[in-house]
Amino acid sequence: MAEGPTTLSTAFRRGMRLLGYFIRRHLVAFGLAVLGAAVFAAAIVASAIVVGNATDSVIVTVLDGGEPIKGRLLPAVGAVVGVSVWKAAGITLRRSGAGYLQFRNQADVRVGLVDRMLRLEMAWYRRQSVGDLLAIGDADASQATFILAPVPYGTGASLLLVGTVVMITLIDPILAAITFVSLGSILAIDITGSWKTYEAFQEVQALRGEVARVAHESFDGALTVKALGRETYETDRFRRTSHTLRDRLAHVGLIFSAYRVVVEGLLSVVTVVLLVAGALRIRAGAVTPGELVSIAYLMSLLFIPIRIIGYVLWDMSHSVAGWERVQQIMTADEVVSYGSLESRAWPTGAEVHGDTVMFGYANDEPILSDIDLTIPAGRVVAVVGPTASGKSTLARLLARLWDPSAGRITIDGADLRDFARSALPGEVAFVAQETFLFDDTVRGNIAFGTDAADEEVWEAARLAGAGFIDELPAGMDTVLGERGTTLSGGQRQRIALARALVRRPRLLILDDATSAVDPSVETRILEGLKAAAMPSTVVVVAYRRSSITLADEVVYVEDGRVVAHGTHDELLATVPGYARILEAYEEDAAVRAAEREAQT
Amino acid sequence: MSEQRLPTTRALRRVIAEAPALRRGLGLTVALAGIGTTIQVVVPIVVQRIVDHEILATGGVDVGGTLTLGAIALGAMGVAMVVRRSALSRLAVRAAEGLSDLRVKTFAHLHSLSVLHVESERRGSLVSRVTSDIVAIQEFVDWGGVGMLIGAAQVVIAIVAMLVYQWKLALLVLAGVLIYAAMLVWFQRILQRLHDQVRRRVGDTLAALSEAISGLAVVRAYGGEAATVTKVEAVIEKEFDTEVRTFTVGAALFSSAEVFAGAITAAVILVGVLTGAAEGTSAGTLLAMLFLVNLLVEPVQTLVETLDQAQSAAAGVRRITAVLDTPVDVPDPVDGVSLPSGALDVGLDGVRFRYPTGGDVLIDVSVHVPAGARVAVVGETGSGKSTFSKLVTRLLDPSAGVVTIGGVPLPRVRFASLRDHVVFVPQEGFLFDATVADNVRYGRPQASDADVAESFADLGLDDWVASLPDGVATRVGERGGQLSAGERQLVALARAWIAAPGVLVLDEATSAVDPALEVRIRRALDRLIAGRTSITVAHRLSTAEASDLVLVFDRGRLVERGTHGELVALGGVYAALNRDWMAGTGV
Repeated sequence: MAEGPTTLSTAFRRGMRLLGYFIRRHLVAFGLAVLGAAVFAAAIVASAIVVGNATDSVIVTVLDGGEPIKGRLLPAVGAVVGVSVWKAAGITLRRSGAGYLQFRNQADVRVGLVDRMLRLEMAWYRRQSVGDLLAIGDADASQATFILAPVPYGTGASLLLVGTVVMITLIDPILAAITFVSLGSILAIDITGSWKTYEAFQEVQALRGEVARVAHESFDGALTVKALGRETYETDRFRRTSHTLRDRLAHVGLIFSAYRVVVEGLLSVVTVVLLVAGALRIRAGAVTPGELVSIAYLMSLLFIPIRIIGYVLWDMSHSVAGWERVQQIMTADEVVSYGSLESRAWPTGAEVHGDTVMFGYANDEPILSDIDLTIPAGRVVAVVGPTASGKSTLARLLARLWDPSAGRITIDGADLRDFARSALPGEVAFVAQETFLFDDTVRGNIAFGTDAADEEVWEAARLAGAGFIDELPAGMDTVLGERGTTLSGGQRQRIALARALVRRPRLLILDDATSAVDPSVETRILEGLKAAAMPSTVVVVAYRRSSITLADEVVYVEDGRVVAHGTHDELLATVPGYARILEAYEEDAAVRAAEREAQT
Repeated sequence: MSEQRLPTTRALRRVIAEAPALRRGLGLTVALAGIGTTIQVVVPIVVQRIVDHEILATGGVDVGGTLTLGAIALGAMGVAMVVRRSALSRLAVRAAEGLSDLRVKTFAHLHSLSVLHVESERRGSLVSRVTSDIVAIQEFVDWGGVGMLIGAAQVVIAIVAMLVYQWKLALLVLAGVLIYAAMLVWFQRILQRLHDQVRRRVGDTLAALSEAISGLAVVRAYGGEAATVTKVEAVIEKEFDTEVRTFTVGAALFSSAEVFAGAITAAVILVGVLTGAAEGTSAGTLLAMLFLVNLLVEPVQTLVETLDQAQSAAAGVRRITAVLDTPVDVPDPVDGVSLPSGALDVGLDGVRFRYPTGGDVLIDVSVHVPAGARVAVVGETGSGKSTFSKLVTRLLDPSAGVVTIGGVPLPRVRFASLRDHVVFVPQEGFLFDATVADNVRYGRPQASDADVAESFADLGLDDWVASLPDGVATRVGERGGQLSAGERQLVALARAWIAAPGVLVLDEATSAVDPALEVRIRRALDRLIAGRTSITVAHRLSTAEASDLVLVFDRGRLVERGTHGELVALGGVYAALNRDWMAGTGV
């Protein structure tokens, strides 16, 4: 995006570039639509001739001249009907072509947006708001392509405009000059008017994003809103945003109505001026009355084209406003780059190595510093540490959701960044604290993105302790989110776990992914994982003692550094911070027991 | 939330009823627009006169006459511009106002339904009700609505004028109009179906986009980019197909108005000429009739064009009214009572809960929790313990039986009072994209920053607040993404603390906080819970141990109740659970 204030001419150029881009993509549809517009324009001329002919050779001669009808009536009437069918064909062709052009491009823009967003780094995603991204995919994508509906007509109309001006020039250069200047000023007014609303419209699009953002956030937090009885507060918050949008829309509407009225009025004014000037030219002997009548007729033909061109210009400024928001995403350059290393599918767990890894989410303080870490293949490792010590961040780096700002993370000696996109899921699977399930069947959620066979899906579900799937209304084919099939937090987590297991990853990372699962169930799952013939290294960000004691090794993290790495017993004996966390429950339980005894 | 087959005209009337701002001054707006349009029609007539009588005047062009008539036309045009401008701007302002009101109304109603928190996967498509569906209506109200009324008036005027000129030909035209109108009625039924389909597809697209965007991190983690793009593409292609089909049908419909115009013109010429001698029709009369036919055809074309927009708007209205007409499943009582302050007792009598299409989630639960009691609710996943907590807080109403708090049946308690006295802390502490203080204040709007800081201090979390970059003024990001899950829980707890309720219901609220921190929260909660009734959906042995009463749920039934010690001795479901816990926490 250009920096600084946009000038009228750059906005206009952007508009033309936008048109060029969309038209080039679907040239055939555009060509057909313009052809339809040309067919229609020709039909308009033909209809004037046909009706004129019917008037002169039938109506006047028969009714006033008293001549017999003979065979003249039916051909004249047939011609009128024929021309109307011709017009209708032109309209249908133009509109269908324009519709295809608009909706095809709109669909392409949307798919392109999703594709692009999925390629961008998490760092980019973290700076966005979901509601606003949604508004770009919805309102802005349709606004950007909105202009394509009137453009073929506008193009046909421009041709008509040029033709008319040429014809008037041939009759009389002075009257042509007046026409030219008048039409030029009308278009200039259209352009400045559309420019005036351009900035207001940019705001409108941004506000549409804001409305979607507030709605999305508020619906997302519906349980909290309701639990605290804050529906009215939320409605007030939404009303403020909606009313700001309302005021900007009204503002745009006021400007638009003023210009619309002026431009349409001016067309009549120009006609009258031309007639007066023409009358003077007739007196001067420069033109004949017949020629002036032709000019008046030609002018009347221009009313619709000028109006259509005006619409195109106005729509263009609005479309550019939407397109610019689309481009914010399409031109974001933080694309994740992948290497070409294929999945090695070794029948062992992965050996993971972190080499002086540094990381910070923004420019401010580092979250992780100097992480040196080796996890031997096939081990189950618990990552333990106080809140905000960097455990989850470390887990995300191991899954290549983020890249270290310095240092590197390798799997069996290969840098994570060297793997091909398709290879990564077979190497590393990550299960997050918060589960996100898709509006799909249970099977679709587990198999997501793979072509796993039915028995593999069931095996993954079994390992994840998701036996409850059997009891759902339609088993694996139950669509989540439908009434009556809402799952508990623990059930959701187990489906997310199955989704990771079905990929048979060589490195499985669980970021507190079983927090809502009952301890006994969790223990069964972790034991099942260890016993299963899954050649996998497992990294568990854990809080519960049960998960920790099941691990072969423990990595203790504090303030973004690996403070200790060893077995649970070693750490318990040598690392005071670790011991404090682990013993907190015991101490607490002991204190409570003492309190209870004191009471009795 | 099913859509009814609301006819288009009823749907549009419904919009006006739901958004009264649209109706305000509508009469004047229509009158102004009508006057402006009428004057505008005068201008081409004057131009015609200039051409016929001044320029083509016998004996040479009359410049003076041209100037006079030209001045008249310009004057009329000036008046028309002022009047039209005022009509259009009134319309723009009212439309923006009315639709914003409708948007807010729909939003508010959605929040009063339980669909948002029960069917979380459907949120994406619900957002479209307050975004793109409203835009579809806006497009019609901005452009079509008044144009339709004026167009209809113009048709009537033209027909009346024709009746005066030559009533037999006028009847012919009228018959033509009626036949075409009948065709339009049939046509618009097809169009209505298509537009309903378009709006549904647009909603589907939005839901698919929403899912892909919200789930971006998950897609990335599981390498599901290609699968997601394919899925979204399939939904978008469906929308594209429907839109192109609808647009093409609309184009054919619009072009049919041209054929209608041609046919009417041809019929008038044909009949006029054939019966001319018998009826004594002059060429002038027939030409005047043709002029009137033109005057009639133009608004008909506009009307047909508007019909397409009207269908699109009506489809949007139907989706919105489907929301507005869904009765509130958990309504705020009229003339509700307030709860007394202080700790209150909670009673359930014969409570049963089932979703309309699912099996029983809770069966015959009767229990009495004395005021000030500390209750732990335990059970395996899916045992009904979460539903129990939602019934006590009236996030859901039981299918049978009654829940009372302080002796008052919940359906009789005013919402405002209920939410003041009974606070629910959900499993995942949802944070809004605002500061820590704002999020805590969500529990008590009038709390000052000092109150917020104090609540953290009371919870023993002042050092955590001090570690934040801007203290309580730190922004938490979308969904609290700048904080860890554990930290989000801290904020959610402070939010509950500041609300100072008489009854506190916690659903696994502390599951993701590390043990050292959790112990501190627990100590703070001990202070919070003191003197209040608390019901905790427990995952920790220590919670159950410390409570006065443990309720054990199994497959929807309340199977055991008592203190920790009693239940362990009983050797039933709880004892088994306790053994797991012992193994899990090492206590």
